[in-house]
Amino acid sequence: MGNASFLWNAMTKSITDDYVLVEKFCLANYKFTDGDVIVFRSPNNHKEKHIKRIIAMPGDWIKVPHSYDMLKIPEGHCWVEGDNSASSLDSRSFGPVPLGLVQGRVTHIVWPPQRVGQVRRSIPEGRFSL
Amino acid sequence: MGTPSFLWNFMKSITGGLIALTISDRYASIVSVHGLSMHHTFNSSTNSVLRSLSDDYVLVEKFCLANYKFTGGDVIVFRSPNNHKEKHIKRIIAMPGEWIKVPHSHDMLKIPEGHCWVEGDNSASSLDSRSFGPVSLGLVQGKVTHIVWPPQRVGQVRRSIPEGRFSF
Repeated sequence: MGNASFLWNAMTKSITDDYVLVEKFCLANYKFTDGDVIVFRSPNNHKEKHIKRIIAMPGDWIKVPHSYDMLKIPEGHCWVEGDNSASSLDSRSFGPVPLGLVQGRVTHIVWPPQRVGQVRRSIPEGRFSL
Repeated sequence: MGTPSFLWNFMKSITGGLIALTISDRYASIVSVHGLSMHHTFNSSTNSVLRSLSDDYVLVEKFCLANYKFTGGDVIVFRSPNNHKEKHIKRIIAMPGEWIKVPHSHDMLKIPEGHCWVEGDNSASSLDSRSFGPVSLGLVQGKVTHIVWPPQRVGQVRRSIPEGRFSF
């Protein structure tokens, strides 16, 4: 039911993983901003979906980690990183992600009960974008 | 004969609307083709006045998305890599892992995993992979199978690789 409806989507692979709510209203006008956690199809493998946080939007400049380069995010793309930098396959490996690959935005954790709550928009420290 | 039949009709139209939306979203839809990048395959009228009044309408099927069964030569609809609000219709020239010769250059390019190389049938007037590079397969929205309008051009859209653009 495409962009005009929302879908309760439980994404899990084992009983110890969190279940999160993914809303798709954001796709109607593509209203994303930095700090949102999004679900997107992998640019390198269209059969896989990933969950990462948007660090920069089109036109922003970011400092590429472990390098002295600044990179300008191309039009229509965003830069995503996992909150756990040490253990995350993200834009640092596969580069900026086209916004057309985004499938929805994570808004809440719904399971397990002790972790139920809103997923807040936030930029990790030290990863400011201009 | 008042409220009950009105409510019934209302529910029927809501249900009909939901079914139509689901079909259009998941299985097949009809879209109009703008522009000349697929000239001769679509929008082949050479009269510029007539052309603007008579864009071809094509049937886009989405069953192919379930298993991502595309091959070289298919005409696909995809979101533009540089502008997620736009959709384009082009032909797949090469699939992941294949090598192609980049036009107007001596380079050979290997198509990265998960991407495809698309070009319009009308090379002179087409914004395609020669400008924005390989397209992620995740951006594909469907495959064009038939022209449904105008009536004199109704027919199947065949899979074909343009001459001289072989890939291996």
